[in-house]
Amino acid sequence: MIHIVYMSRAVRPLSDQDLQALLDQCRRDNAARNVTGVLFYSHGNIAQLIEGEKEVLEPLFDVISRDGRHSNVVKLVDKPITARSFEDWSMAFHPLEPSGFEALQGFLLPRHLPPPPSSLSIADAMLVDLVRLAVFGADAAPAEPEPAHA
Amino acid sequence: MREQQLQDILQHMPAGVATLQGPELCYGFVNEAMHTVLGAPVREGQPVAEHPGTIPADLLEVMQQVFQSGRPYVAKAYCIPLPAAEGKKPTPRYFDVALEPVREGDGPVSGLLLFAVDVTAQEEARQKAHHLSIETRRLDTRLRVLTETVPQITFTVDAAGKYEYVSPQWYYFTGQPPTADLNAIWPLLIHPDDRLRVLYQSDSARAAGIGWSYEYRLRRHDGQYRWLLSRALPELHAPDQAVFWHGALTEIHDQRELAEALRRGEAELRFLADSIPELIWTATAEGFIDYYNEYTAEYSGLTKEELGPTGWINLLDPSEQAGAARRWVTSIASGEPYEGLFRMRRHDGRYRWHIIRARQLADERGPRWFGTCTDVDDQHRLREVLQTQYDELARTNRDLDTFVYTASHDLKQPVLNLRGLFEELRRTASFNDPEDKKIVGMVDEALGQLDATLLELAATVQDQRGLSAPVETLDLRSVADEVLLGLRVQVQESEAVVDLDFSAAPTLTYGRANLRSILHNLFSNALKFADPERPPHLQVRSAVTETGQPVLTVQDNGLGMELPGRPAPVFQPFARQHPHIAGAGVGMYLVQRIIASRGGHLDVTSKVGQGTTFTVHWFEN
Repeated sequence: MIHIVYMSRAVRPLSDQDLQALLDQCRRDNAARNVTGVLFYSHGNIAQLIEGEKEVLEPLFDVISRDGRHSNVVKLVDKPITARSFEDWSMAFHPLEPSGFEALQGFLLPRHLPPPPSSLSIADAMLVDLVRLAVFGADAAPAEPEPAHA
Repeated sequence: MREQQLQDILQHMPAGVATLQGPELCYGFVNEAMHTVLGAPVREGQPVAEHPGTIPADLLEVMQQVFQSGRPYVAKAYCIPLPAAEGKKPTPRYFDVALEPVREGDGPVSGLLLFAVDVTAQEEARQKAHHLSIETRRLDTRLRVLTETVPQITFTVDAAGKYEYVSPQWYYFTGQPPTADLNAIWPLLIHPDDRLRVLYQSDSARAAGIGWSYEYRLRRHDGQYRWLLSRALPELHAPDQAVFWHGALTEIHDQRELAEALRRGEAELRFLADSIPELIWTATAEGFIDYYNEYTAEYSGLTKEELGPTGWINLLDPSEQAGAARRWVTSIASGEPYEGLFRMRRHDGRYRWHIIRARQLADERGPRWFGTCTDVDDQHRLREVLQTQYDELARTNRDLDTFVYTASHDLKQPVLNLRGLFEELRRTASFNDPEDKKIVGMVDEALGQLDATLLELAATVQDQRGLSAPVETLDLRSVADEVLLGLRVQVQESEAVVDLDFSAAPTLTYGRANLRSILHNLFSNALKFADPERPPHLQVRSAVTETGQPVLTVQDNGLGMELPGRPAPVFQPFARQHPHIAGAGVGMYLVQRIIASRGGHLDVTSKVGQGTTFTVHWFEN
């Protein structure tokens, strides 16, 4: 099993409908192929982590990188993992109308994002944090826990 | 009958036909088309001059002259405007008008035959063509002016590679005379190293019918070779049959030199970065490492790919990774410089102390991060050794001071007793020998000296340690931080967690050295008497009692101790609760003495195996 993280730019801004369609599409396609992961979107910035079997993920990434809806696809990580960290496929973005989205399965407002799961290595968790920061900006970063005085 | 047929034909001809009779030129036969030309109905026998319809005066005059001279005349594309309604412009119409004199037999001219063929469409087309040619000339002029003023050399080449046109800039640039044979000279002016390539590239582009873009050096009038960019596009006459290539040469010498210098500079910097025996790296605005210098690979034994955009975290000591990662994310979010002291794993598995520093460079190319990891392992270890020795010395020194202080204090009472006894002895005993009196005097003097010495000793220690310094308003947190800084080795070693909460009473008016001494003893005791089963957890709180007096509690989760049942001072000098733990046993005694000397007292509650809580009542109620 491997995971791949990439960042890209949407060719044009995605509307709430586009995002919902994307969420539905991802959930459907990925469930069929046993791919899990998380997708971040904000103001044209896209980042996605996908995890699954190497022989599924590599062709999938080829398809993703050729998708006409985004460009400047930069693959950050492509490496073996021992366990999945995003079993329940999810997606986070700032919808224009948040009320309709909160009930959707697999959707999260950026500020409700939990910290990266502990099943990720610290280097990978930091990568997810940096990716999230790059997509959503500093405002949506998780609240810094008060460091222990030592 | 034939007459009638002829009449019909003439009547419906698409050209205007009319006969004008007699010197008066009276209308005779007028067909339908001619009625349209005249624009108004005419009566037979009416002279043209009386009812000219749309016929302009000059044509009327020409008619008269033709009648008189008997010579036919044709006016080509003659304008007979169609009169329009009031206030509107008449529509222009153009006719080829033929005036043919009519003779009866060989007699004199008896009338005129008038033909008018509508040529409006042809005339309009001609006029349009005329305007177009004027416009074309204008555009042509403009293009010429533009091509001759732009700084580029423009040119046109045909499919055989022959130059059809080159703008005058070529002559200015090359210094060639206008009579120069372009096709012969041009290749010779190309830098010998570029010539073959250029000729081949343009040849193959022409053969393929596509445009080109390449750079080469061309000799300038002063003999210097300058870099030019040649770009050309084909002009296609059939879908894939190019006939001409139009293009421009742009001088890019300076840009190229600059780019070359930049490339050289960058290569040199990179070489420099790769030569330094220090880990050097750069990161993108998002915080992903995009360059590690060669030494990084050498040190870590990992390639750039193995390290990846965040893999440096894996080099750190596992216990330091989470904190280092959190700080890096915080730095990326805020743009604040990153700095930290970490142990980094070498290729052989040994960890060495490094200072990791990174700063953000923000310029027009967007923010980037530049970082270094400096090996400070030797310094760090040396400092640790020195620190341990220093701490040892400081502790010994403090213990000695305390010993002297307490000893001098505690010896005062016996001296006082001795003096009392001696006075009593002098009063009751009688000394007969005069020598004895002398001895009595000497003993008295010696006792006095002993007393003074003890006082001086105590005062000296007090002065040296600042115990008698005047009070000032102190920020509890800053003093506590200072004390913890001195104890950081112990804190780190024991992985202690220290919670400081001075929100209830952030300041205290006290002697600085006293406060430091008290906090030092309380903190170091808590760390020293920690339960080995769990990391120490110190909770330090300041508060104000109901009566408005400040108190400080220091609670630990350490070994705890058995407290004596009676309400006596807990701490006697050299009395030690935990004999297996190193120490002189005077610390807490000193704390108690200091607090008492400032008018306060120390409370203690403790449970063996759970911990101890000290409450300092700074001032008695």
